[in-house]
Amino acid sequence: MEKIKYEKPVINKISAGVPSKFGLPVKQKIISDIDGIKVSTLMEKYGSPLFVISERTIREVFAEAKRAFETRYPKVQFAWSYKTNYMDAVCSIYHDEGSWAEVVSGFEFEKALSNGVNGSQIIFNGPDKSETDLTMAIEHNACIHIDHFDELYLLIEISRKINKKARVAIRVNLDAGIYPIWDRFGFNYENGDAWNAINRIMLAENLELIGLHTHIGTYIMVSSAYAIAASKLANLYMAVHRKFDYWLKYIDLGGGFASKNTLKGAYMPGTETCPSFDEYAEAISNALISSEIPHENLPVLFLETGRALIDDAGFLLTTVLANKRLNSGRRSTVIDAGVNLLFTSFWYNLGVYPSKEMSGGAEESTIYGPLCMNIDVVRDAIVFPHVNTGDQLVIERVGAYNMTQSMQFITYRPNMVLIDMEGKTHIIRKKESLETFKQQELNPKR
Amino acid sequence: MKITDEVRISDNGFVFNSKTGDSFNLNPTGLELIKLIAEGKDFNAIRDIFLARYDMEELRFEKDFYEFCALIKHHQITTVENPLDFK
Repeated sequence: MEKIKYEKPVINKISAGVPSKFGLPVKQKIISDIDGIKVSTLMEKYGSPLFVISERTIREVFAEAKRAFETRYPKVQFAWSYKTNYMDAVCSIYHDEGSWAEVVSGFEFEKALSNGVNGSQIIFNGPDKSETDLTMAIEHNACIHIDHFDELYLLIEISRKINKKARVAIRVNLDAGIYPIWDRFGFNYENGDAWNAINRIMLAENLELIGLHTHIGTYIMVSSAYAIAASKLANLYMAVHRKFDYWLKYIDLGGGFASKNTLKGAYMPGTETCPSFDEYAEAISNALISSEIPHENLPVLFLETGRALIDDAGFLLTTVLANKRLNSGRRSTVIDAGVNLLFTSFWYNLGVYPSKEMSGGAEESTIYGPLCMNIDVVRDAIVFPHVNTGDQLVIERVGAYNMTQSMQFITYRPNMVLIDMEGKTHIIRKKESLETFKQQELNPKR
Repeated sequence: MKITDEVRISDNGFVFNSKTGDSFNLNPTGLELIKLIAEGKDFNAIRDIFLARYDMEELRFEKDFYEFCALIKHHQITTVENPLDFK
């Protein structure tokens, strides 16, 4: 007698009164390949877990953002936010697309230079700029975005000492009608600090004020906040012209555009709620074009968006290590990628999907990472199919921050692989080994 | 392991526990399994029946069986024996 196909025995409690109000799909999404390459093939070749980044997605999303802004505003320049993902292979793609570099440390500055970026096309942000960093930035004609008065005076000192003019902008913090108001970076607009800083710079012989910068926050879900920010910078831009008869070169609206990831606690998925590039572009362009700046003197619009450009291009492939029933009866699954690789799992409900069709039903589960740490929770509640040990899963939208913020802890960091435009795979960062650590560690002889 | 007296199981996989007021759905293998448990069959007997009927590996069944048992115990469908009575 031919045997019947086996299906795992399942019992589900019937809960009334919690239907999906929005009719969100209940069909399990599957990611079986990335850019045409099977997930199983990638993992067989490069191991598990594995970071994968798609060049095709990077270029497509960038083209979408560029189109959204360039069709609405005459002068647009993107600068790739290094901290979001500073793998050389990734930065090179953005530079190839015409992006400048936006860096926030001496280390990132050096990385941008080593990636072949001309110093004058590096935007130097951040509160941590040492004398050595600032000297390097002045020598390379970088655009230094001043964060505080101490930095301003240090710059005056250094530029006198080396007798070279520094090209500077100020970072402005402002009330864009959203909460929280980021006031720890830059000079405040509303209390007049920003205007004071501008006046001080205009009087300094060796400082050339070339722009105004703001970065109103991160994962900003209302595009109108950017319109408010752009209007306030436009006011400062005009005030500089009126007082000093001088046109600044650019206005930099920073980054902070939301990616399509879903924030923890959000009622609706990010794919439904986050503004598109078109909406951000419409808000910013309208605010600048309808400001009192004459059209012939409109500044170049700089954008430092990182997260929204790269998140979709990154995937983390992982393997199921075990399934457990918790004392509460809840199903839990342990995978071989933990929060040390997924920094963004602390604030996103990351999308975790099987790489093949799973039989049987789905059940609310918790997904744990492999670390022997209670905090290692990748998803605390997800309706997930009954996966088995050894099954391969894909975590999507991890291109921003996770690769650069991944932390070596308890186990080695995995390979990072790029799939190029021709569908070829390349290791862009090698898996760590004991040797990686031996090279850095010193054990004093006793 | 014994199915609690207050539990009723229909032939189409619907389970009602009048002690807790909870109701449940079973898939076909779940229904078959719970019926065999209700008949008082032990693990070895149930395993043999499943292995003869389904295309599956023994260890796979053992894993699924004990997970299923833990769940029905959690839902008070089976009588909870004293877990600290280490017989």
